[in-house]
Amino acid sequence: MNVMKGAIILCVLFISLTLHAQDTLSTFHRQASQNYKSLKPGKSKFMMRGYYHSGFESVTTGGETEYNFVSGSINPILMYKQSDKLFFEAEFAGAFEDGEFKWDMEYADMSYVINKYMTIRAGKFMLPFGVFIEKLHPAWINRLATNPLGFGHDGIAPSSDVGIELRGAFYTGSTKLNYQVYLINGPQLKDGSIEPGEAGMLKFGFMEDNNNNKTLGGRIGIFPFSNSMMEIGFSGMTGKVGSKKTIYENVKATLLAIDFSLVKNLDLMKSVIDIKGQYNYSRIGKANYLVPDNTTVYYNFNNVSNTYYTQLSVRPSLIDNDFLRKIEIVSRYSSLQAPEGALWEQNPKQFAIGLNYWIDWRTVLKMGYQTTNGLGDHDAQESISKNLFYLHWAMGF
Amino acid sequence: MKRTTFIVSAIVASLALSITINSCKPTAAITAKSGAQIWGENCVRCHNTASPETFSDIEWDVTATHMQIRANLTHEESRKVLEFLKAAN
Repeated sequence: MNVMKGAIILCVLFISLTLHAQDTLSTFHRQASQNYKSLKPGKSKFMMRGYYHSGFESVTTGGETEYNFVSGSINPILMYKQSDKLFFEAEFAGAFEDGEFKWDMEYADMSYVINKYMTIRAGKFMLPFGVFIEKLHPAWINRLATNPLGFGHDGIAPSSDVGIELRGAFYTGSTKLNYQVYLINGPQLKDGSIEPGEAGMLKFGFMEDNNNNKTLGGRIGIFPFSNSMMEIGFSGMTGKVGSKKTIYENVKATLLAIDFSLVKNLDLMKSVIDIKGQYNYSRIGKANYLVPDNTTVYYNFNNVSNTYYTQLSVRPSLIDNDFLRKIEIVSRYSSLQAPEGALWEQNPKQFAIGLNYWIDWRTVLKMGYQTTNGLGDHDAQESISKNLFYLHWAMGF
Repeated sequence: MKRTTFIVSAIVASLALSITINSCKPTAAITAKSGAQIWGENCVRCHNTASPETFSDIEWDVTATHMQIRANLTHEESRKVLEFLKAAN
């Protein structure tokens, strides 16, 4: 009889525990489901990336050497994917200038994917004029701490502008082609009224146009081999650059560029070699500029400029030694030829060599030496010899 | 007159481009490329190749669209690389 009672009690206990366990499990599942729903991402996807760099530099000019830590810049990039069709991105550059911290907007544009072969982009965007500015200039990508001659401030290659662009890529057989066509406000001609020494130069990246004429430009990139390791690109843009209702309103500018890129594994050297190059040409229409400090006498010159660079880097990525795998050797030669007869005439040549240590795929320590010689920059029309030694650190995030 | 010529030229160029693109097909070898292969061939053209573990699936989704536009990847290349990165991270 007692055994029977005990068995019944045990059965009741077992059933109660089972029911309780099922109830607990059910509650757990319900909570987990709620938690999952609360964490499940929506269709809008946001991401912040960017890069940062700074360093130490020793600059020798005219026998005098200056040593400085340089604050570099921080460039946050905001990316927002609203749907499979709509995408927005913007980059800001924060840096110290004359002792003050300033933010600049590098670009801010939205893209709409029309179909597999066409994407339309509108806003302020990096111009596909060659590839250096659009793809290679960020500090964590650029193998050296400086830009080649003619790229950047006072350069002859444009960087970004406001407008609208159509771009895409497709295969024809085993050859890949990509194209970009754009209509932008375009560069503006400096007439010398503000800075007489820069009369005839172009300024780039202004948000407001100085005339109603828009600049038309584009680039075609060809990958001749199926492994995408080599690309050759042809770029051009043309449009009026003079301000309306001035004697310069019909002055036109035509800019052309050719770029080359080859990245290849060399099994014999157990290394990856990376060869890059770009040639830029700029022709600005004939115009007369006032001689400084004179209101009646004009001068003119054949306003043609060109600049180019070639760069080689070698990294023994394929060897077994973990330290050597992170080392990279890079060298670059660049040249700038500004118009003869202009007050900003210059023809410097530059050679740079560097040794990089990659802490990880997007963090690098750069050590390098760069020497620049020739007729100097537009501030001083005299021969210059400028040597730079630097140690920079850059991080992509 | 110049404006009309430009508009007509742009329309003709767009039509020619559309017809050219649609009549072009990649070879079988190109079509057979895996996401891992495309990832290995293309990223290194500008920067070092990122490990798949660097980002989450959502972040890779955003990055893949960014790269399709900036680095001129084809739609198929971008889709295959994204699938590979999501599977490998």
